[in-house]
Amino acid sequence: MAPPVRCCVPGERLCSLEEGAAGSGTYTRHGYVCAALAGCLAKTSEDGALPVVSVVRDAESQLLPDVGAIVTCKVCSINSRFAKVHILYIGSTPLKSTFRGTIRREDIRATEKDKVEVYKSFRPGDIVLAKVISLGDMQSNYLLSTAENELGVVVAHSEAGAQMVPISWCEMQCPRTHSKELRKVARVQPEFLQT
Amino acid sequence: MALDHRRVPGPEESQAPLLYAVPGQAAPEAPGREAAALRPLLARAGLLSQAEGSASLELGGGTKVLCAVRGPREAAEGRGRLLCEFRRAPFSGRGARPRPGPAAAARERELGLALQEALAPAVRLARYPRARLELTALVLQDGGSALAAALSAAALALADAGVEMFDLVVGCGLCRAPGPGGAWLLQPSEAEERAAAARLTVALMPGLNQVAGLLGSGQGGPPESWAQAVRLGLEGCQRLYPLLRRSLLRSAERRAAEADPPQS
Repeated sequence: MAPPVRCCVPGERLCSLEEGAAGSGTYTRHGYVCAALAGCLAKTSEDGALPVVSVVRDAESQLLPDVGAIVTCKVCSINSRFAKVHILYIGSTPLKSTFRGTIRREDIRATEKDKVEVYKSFRPGDIVLAKVISLGDMQSNYLLSTAENELGVVVAHSEAGAQMVPISWCEMQCPRTHSKELRKVARVQPEFLQT
Repeated sequence: MALDHRRVPGPEESQAPLLYAVPGQAAPEAPGREAAALRPLLARAGLLSQAEGSASLELGGGTKVLCAVRGPREAAEGRGRLLCEFRRAPFSGRGARPRPGPAAAARERELGLALQEALAPAVRLARYPRARLELTALVLQDGGSALAAALSAAALALADAGVEMFDLVVGCGLCRAPGPGGAWLLQPSEAEERAAAARLTVALMPGLNQVAGLLGSGQGGPPESWAQAVRLGLEGCQRLYPLLRRSLLRSAERRAAEADPPQS
């Protein structure tokens, strides 16, 4: 029988700072840890350090892309200087409303940044794994970067319409017409390789 | 003149209905109410499936408010924003006549800003950079103290949506009866509000014990009278807080029970 879960409302005092550390969904005030969400209390006891008190809601409220988060996005338009994308997933959580992001030309690759051509790295309709490097200011969108081996194009369709297979870090091949197209390909995770 | 067969002809003569009223059966005098009596409250969170968070609040005597929160959505600005809208349904008022246009729209905008001012200190907007939260409060039936009910319902809806907050906001309305010695009444009914000389709405964050919003108008009398009214209002908010807290806990428990079904 699972122990009864204790629910709390925002503003409720959970414990004092000596008894527990503030986790997600809480804030500290006047030496007390108070809840910031309406949800269930969760206490993780670590050996040595103080137990971390946090409030969890099972239906994850909409996450916002944070700096350093890996996001899955879809390219909607490209330019000679940048590619505009729609952010669809943060980590593995789908977003209910899409956010817009930009991948600048100098953030596509880590090496030889000035020789990069956006047309040879992304095409509209590609699904790309990228990392958020900046939240952007007033006018601009989220800034993303694919300057790592594990980031880049994951799914792309060839001009013939078939889903392409990655051959190297910069090429993908269409299984139907066997033509090669240039993309900045993400390194395939070892568990997905069939050898 | 030819008879118009498409319409039902009314009587040729008509008289005011008051002629037929039996004397002595005039509307019974409302019994003098206790100044600090609170109306029965029914609050429920988490009823709409299409909005991220929602809450409905009903006060005994016919005030019904429904509040829905959408977001966080993407915003163009750098910091998070809370946008509040206060709307009255066309059937919420007493009479059948629709309200006149621009004056009512300006009044609703003012109340929407008052809502935003009162809720902004309670929401942790710093946790939502580049996002906007849209809150809509719809008054389904106005039986007095609609703004105060909307404030409490809005705080419940925000908490239900999973928006990080410092504390809940509880709203309480007051009004002062006309006349030099008029006393302040808590949670006035619609008739009392209409006849009042001054109205006040107080919003309190009970856990932090901070006043979140204050909106008043009218001739309240000397400043001590306003101070006394604010104290009365804050006391009313403290008494309403346990009911709102219980309804939020119930909805949180319902969510938790739905997420992992009990094993047995």
